[in-house]
Amino acid sequence: MYIQVPEFLEPAWNLFQGAPLAIQLAMIFIVITTVITLLAYVSILRNRFRGYQRAKRLGKLLPLLDNLIVEEVLANQDPLAQTQPDAVQLNLESFYQLPLHKKWARQATTDRIIHFRRNVRGNPGRLLRTLYLQLELDKDNVKQMKSSKWERKVRALTEFIEMDIPIADVTILPLTNSHNRELRAAARHAYIKLSKNEPFKFFDVVTDPLLMWDQVELFRIITTTEDIAIPNFARWVTYSSNRSVVSFCLKLIVHYNQLPAVPAVKQLLDTKDHYLRAEAINCLGKLRVPDIEDKLVYMYSSQPLQCQIEILKAIGRIGGGQHIDFLKQEFLHSTNFDLRKSAAKSIVKNESIANKILQELLDTADPGRLLILKHCMNPLIKY
Amino acid sequence: MVLFTGLNSATMNKILLIEDDEIMPKVVARILQPPDYQLDHVSNGKEAFEKLEATGYDYALIITDIMMPYANGFEILSKVKSHDREKPIPVIIVSNAGNEDMIMEAFKLGADDFLKKPIIPAELIIRVKRLLMNK
Repeated sequence: MYIQVPEFLEPAWNLFQGAPLAIQLAMIFIVITTVITLLAYVSILRNRFRGYQRAKRLGKLLPLLDNLIVEEVLANQDPLAQTQPDAVQLNLESFYQLPLHKKWARQATTDRIIHFRRNVRGNPGRLLRTLYLQLELDKDNVKQMKSSKWERKVRALTEFIEMDIPIADVTILPLTNSHNRELRAAARHAYIKLSKNEPFKFFDVVTDPLLMWDQVELFRIITTTEDIAIPNFARWVTYSSNRSVVSFCLKLIVHYNQLPAVPAVKQLLDTKDHYLRAEAINCLGKLRVPDIEDKLVYMYSSQPLQCQIEILKAIGRIGGGQHIDFLKQEFLHSTNFDLRKSAAKSIVKNESIANKILQELLDTADPGRLLILKHCMNPLIKY
Repeated sequence: MVLFTGLNSATMNKILLIEDDEIMPKVVARILQPPDYQLDHVSNGKEAFEKLEATGYDYALIITDIMMPYANGFEILSKVKSHDREKPIPVIIVSNAGNEDMIMEAFKLGADDFLKKPIIPAELIIRVKRLLMNK
């Protein structure tokens, strides 16, 4: 095979051709690694140079931008003004002196407005939103939402949340079921924060199970979002075919102490799904529904262990006092340790009503049961 | 209702702002302006201690964040409140971290007020005025 090499490389090429195979391989390896190293250095230097240029550009832009925002928004304060901040026409002349036709400058402006909104709220916060809209920075974000890259969509959703810009259901609802975990979480977050009337509508379209971590995140978002319209979660308890949505709604019913949801939760006691039945019993116990105790005791013997534990706990939480003997019997005669422990905890929890029985058990229980009782009486152990 | 004026234009109230965020000082400086207020800004706990020592704790009010490098807002608060002065300098805590435990801790250490970020500028100035009136 004849290879044409430039004249200046000919001595090196001849040297290479005359070398033994091992040396030839070593030389090839050295050349390849040297080229890769040089490329890596060039890439690093290029990125650093770009970073330096970006920092230089921002160093010029940001102080100007900050001054403009402070003067235009914070100084634009008249508490007695009749015009709502959303309807104020801001003087944007000075902003148009900035290179806002360039993408990086527009993004920097958006980031800066968001940064300001994290520091001020009230009328200045609303004026910042007005500024964002009047500079038409939201249009860039709408474009990002159409991107095929999920990271861009997540960024756009975050920006919409920060700026409190509503998104059409048709755009966001499909994203709440995305297979990408990050995008799905961001879309659900955005839907709850931005949908003023029905922030939980996406529960209707959830196809996959809500993972436990998703539930934790959603619970945090729901319970920490201000001015959110809390619906009656019984709606999903009754109609949702998604087991995880029902389970999550039961937790929300407890959190918001939604007593009107009790009839729907009671209906779950007849479900064939043991897991949901246990969750429903737990929910009724935490809501302290007094008229449910008889039914729970009646169904107790036919239930699996998980539900039996929840029934014992629920009776303890409701604390009606009519079933202390039942708890005592379970504590004394159950062969399962968890059932004995749950019964003991419920007796201790109703100490004011069951003090005689508790004392009797303390006096007569065998060492194993006495240990359980003393453990349950320790106030440091959370029930 | 006039919000953005000081208490007494004859005396300038020296206020120390301890805040590592770059936006907040600009916001506060716009609200608490001369001639009624003189605002000094430092961006971490170490600089705050140096400033307080250098000025002999000569401030009418301190506004501080909690999460900061070198020394946090609670350490600054403790030091300010334990400083040997006839009447301790009032301290307003302004923080993102507004959970119950932090608020309780701040008041236990002697904070005079607690504001959660994002702040309402008009609210900040009313609180500042109230504390300066009680001075």
